[in-house]
Amino acid sequence: MAKTYQKPNYFDRIRGDFFSTKLDASMTIVFGLLAAWALWNLVNWGVLHAVWSADDRALCGHGTEGACWGVIDARWRLIMFGLYPFEEQWRSAIACIVMVIVGVLSCVPWFWNAKRLPVLWISGFALFYGLMRGGFFGLTPVFEQNWGGLSLTIFIFASVSLIGMPLAIVFALLRRSELPWIAHTMGLIIDTIRSLPLLSIMFTFAIVLPFVLPGWMIGDKLYRVIVGYALFFACYQAEIIRGGIQALPPGQEEAAKALGMSYWHRIGYIVLPQAFRNALPPTINQFVITFKETSLVVIIGFFELLASANAAYGTSEWNFAHIEVYAFVGLIYFIFVFALSRYGAYLERRLAVAER
Amino acid sequence: MKYLTFAALALGLAAGTAHAESRLDTALERGSLLCSGHNGSFLGFAEVDDQGNWKGMDIDLCRGLAASLFGQADGNLEIVPISWAQRWPSLQSGDIDVVIKLSGWTQSRDTELNLSYSLPYFVGAFHVMSHADIGAESVADLDGGSICVSAGTSTERVLASYLEGNNIEAEVVVFESGDEVKTAYFNRRCDGLILFAPPLAATRATAEDPEAHVILPDVLGLEPESIIVPEGDPKWLDVQNWMLSSLWFAEINGITQANVDEIKANPGSAQIEKFLGVTPGYGERLGLSDDWAYNLIKEVGNYGEIFDRNIAEPYALPRGMNELYTNGGVFYPLTVD
Amino acid sequence: MHSLLRNKTFRDTAFQVGFVGGLILMIVVLIFTARTNLEAQGMTSGFGFLERATGWGVNFSLIEFTTSDTYLKVIWVGILNSLFLGSISLVLATVLGTIIGVMRVSGNRVAEMIGTTYVEIFRNLPLLLQVFFWYAVLTSLPRPKEGISLFDVAFISGRGMYFPGLNVTGGSVFVMFIGLFAAIALTIWLRMARRFRRMEPATKKSRGRLIWMVFGVFAVVCMWAGRIPDTDLLSIPFLKGLNYREGVRVSPELLTCIIGISIYGAAYIGEIVRAGFNSLSKGQGEAGYALGLSPWQTFSRIKLPLAIRAVMPTLINQYVWLFKSTTVGIAIGFVDFFMVISTSINQSGQTLELIAILMGGFLIINYSMAWVLNRVNDAIALKGSQLRV
Repeated sequence: MAKTYQKPNYFDRIRGDFFSTKLDASMTIVFGLLAAWALWNLVNWGVLHAVWSADDRALCGHGTEGACWGVIDARWRLIMFGLYPFEEQWRSAIACIVMVIVGVLSCVPWFWNAKRLPVLWISGFALFYGLMRGGFFGLTPVFEQNWGGLSLTIFIFASVSLIGMPLAIVFALLRRSELPWIAHTMGLIIDTIRSLPLLSIMFTFAIVLPFVLPGWMIGDKLYRVIVGYALFFACYQAEIIRGGIQALPPGQEEAAKALGMSYWHRIGYIVLPQAFRNALPPTINQFVITFKETSLVVIIGFFELLASANAAYGTSEWNFAHIEVYAFVGLIYFIFVFALSRYGAYLERRLAVAER
Repeated sequence: MKYLTFAALALGLAAGTAHAESRLDTALERGSLLCSGHNGSFLGFAEVDDQGNWKGMDIDLCRGLAASLFGQADGNLEIVPISWAQRWPSLQSGDIDVVIKLSGWTQSRDTELNLSYSLPYFVGAFHVMSHADIGAESVADLDGGSICVSAGTSTERVLASYLEGNNIEAEVVVFESGDEVKTAYFNRRCDGLILFAPPLAATRATAEDPEAHVILPDVLGLEPESIIVPEGDPKWLDVQNWMLSSLWFAEINGITQANVDEIKANPGSAQIEKFLGVTPGYGERLGLSDDWAYNLIKEVGNYGEIFDRNIAEPYALPRGMNELYTNGGVFYPLTVD
Repeated sequence: MHSLLRNKTFRDTAFQVGFVGGLILMIVVLIFTARTNLEAQGMTSGFGFLERATGWGVNFSLIEFTTSDTYLKVIWVGILNSLFLGSISLVLATVLGTIIGVMRVSGNRVAEMIGTTYVEIFRNLPLLLQVFFWYAVLTSLPRPKEGISLFDVAFISGRGMYFPGLNVTGGSVFVMFIGLFAAIALTIWLRMARRFRRMEPATKKSRGRLIWMVFGVFAVVCMWAGRIPDTDLLSIPFLKGLNYREGVRVSPELLTCIIGISIYGAAYIGEIVRAGFNSLSKGQGEAGYALGLSPWQTFSRIKLPLAIRAVMPTLINQYVWLFKSTTVGIAIGFVDFFMVISTSINQSGQTLELIAILMGGFLIINYSMAWVLNRVNDAIALKGSQLRV
């Protein structure tokens, strides 16, 4: 009499997911048609009617319906490596791969350790810098002015993370200091920087700093912008770390105190490791945003990925092909950012399971 | 206490290291010249080729300056890409030593911005290019349309005052980089594109279909373009003036990149002997090596060669006003004695 | 000496004095260096230049601006433009973001998939790239002559969109919009705040009506006061020569910024809204169904208000962050606060002063925005433990 539970078959499942009520069904149909239409147009433009080779430039141009991927074929090295000397671009490529490997490795939990992670990043970064800059082992030196494209984007991202992370920890600890003046001043600094646009901070560091700094401290414009960006990053990241620390039960620190551990031991062995674990998802999110916003240095006048994309269609030969170039560059950004944010989501789920 | 000492120290250092010394000495000490590049290409003056190399007239002048200072440009020249709007702050803050970025001589820049101008190295008019199918015959026909211009340039001001003075109501669309201006024009965001005549002609010549664009005859303004250094640095300004003068001197005396070695071995006159550093004096007075002019010509050739290489040959443009005075132009070398 | 160092109070004081004093000294050093550097180059400092005429124009301004107006005015134009762009984009981003967020928790697979695709695409690309992209798309729309016409009163072309409008000054429209926001805020306050909980529903209703009536009168007065003399009140765009004349024009630059920022912002807000819905306990919705409410009622009366309240603090941070991103306008030539400052620096050479104005301006705008939104949050926050956080 009572129905026994039946495993839903394929058909039932589809009906449950897509057509359970009238509203559901109509939504499915409307949205489905919309999505199909968009997808069809996209495939039509990007694949079916596309022109793939630079030699066929005559085939594309104004008024054709397909994408003109020939522009990528002709200019991809400019997009990837910017102004880097043509014969030396293999170095730029290897350097990028090194940094990507470092990024992938730091996702492996074995490296999540106050000693291993910095060592991995610093050595990876040194290798990257050495390859790019050259000047030894018979590698011709290439100055920072000539760096460009993806490698400059990666360079900015990596140096901002490397400088910003320790700075963020210091900021977070200062803001949590028991000494009111230090805590309040730090709070004021963090809040002020957080309410300024990143672009204005970069602009200030690029243009204004040389006026107010003594001559020997000025340095190259690229490094000033990186320091400014790192400061901005540190202020955001400091708040994330502070959030992680606050989420700890107060008993943790008290117990460590009771055991007679010194301040640095308490922070280094008890508080920070747990705080970082708590703050891992927002931290990854912060990295995602940081990677994306490296694109803002275009406006300061650096030749990173987006700027070299603009230059790629800037010639009269290809000036109609901006959508193709943006799609290509968008894909590069997307690969990096999407991978990172997926990884963040995965971690979040994993941590949630662990806490259950 | 520690902080106090540090701060006092910093204060002392700061006061000691104000930019009081000449940019010439700064550059010579550093061992390289920081010259202004463009953020995107500006046809004929600064372009980035397929392999990511800079070329163009402004770039050649940078190379020439570096060669004058250090003997050769390779390894001693850094081209710093900056936008139009960043030229002056970058120069004043010392990010670059000199602005060679097709910059016009205007009163507000000369006075309010505290800049020093060299002899003009290029004279040209502002013109507007328009799409042929619009059928415009003068700028006035663009009434109601839109005109694209680069941000923070003298062009922006010239255009604004021309439109106002002639009661033309056109939308002025402003962009940070030269590439964006051009792209916007070709994508028909604008009916007109205002530029300095030579790069404008070059832009037209390289367009997909040059016949589809017309350069309107109206001259919106004539502007001398100079090399710019901060005010109050006469030594550095002298170097710029004499570098330009040397380029014209070489042209008038038939000294070229190809024959400079020959002429140095066998100079025809005492003046040329001095010029090429066979007899001392020409460099020492400026604080340079005596054979600096030889290095300069060896690196980039004389003015005519620079012009032909970057502007005349690729874009088939006449020299016009930018000829030497002997050919009816406005340029002349200073006296070498 | 040694014992003094071991004294905790002394040590703490020393640390604090050292830290704060060090910072102050650093600032002093910076100021001194700046002065020496400026003097060495013979540059003038001070804010006197704000009174000078600019000599260049702006192509989009809410208030009248000519080339003979001062720097002070051009900066004010920039600030207004930024606020204008920010307010439109934030509202659109919120609406779109809420739709996306709701789609992702709707239970319909196709809607969820579209929502997810949207969020993943637009959240994972740099805003600047998106802005460049939209700009390229918008400017490659047909030229005015071949523009798309909507009933001959509105037009879409590569030069922007043209709508019929009133012949009134931009300033008065701006004032009217401020009035509109005030009216909306007052209505929300009236509905939500605890202070009015005991008020009779009828009184509440009439008060609400009163607010809107006052706003209506205010709007008419604004329009009347801001009338441009010697023109018809209604202006309809028409094609003449190269472009449309009359009507209200939305330039491609402004439109790009609005589209770019709202689409980008919506991806983030969508995620926040989704998190808000997910934080609701199942019981809330089930209780609604048990009371016999329809799905729409359960959604609009129970789930949505609870979800919005749950995510309000996150949303406030997001708003401040999104407002800051209006600075990307400079990349495509939208005359916002940042671009005005950048151009002024180049034309007047007063770098330090202008940067100080930029920083100060953003601090004031962002702090006051955060303050107002936090007050709104306090007013509508649920007191007690209805929410499982």
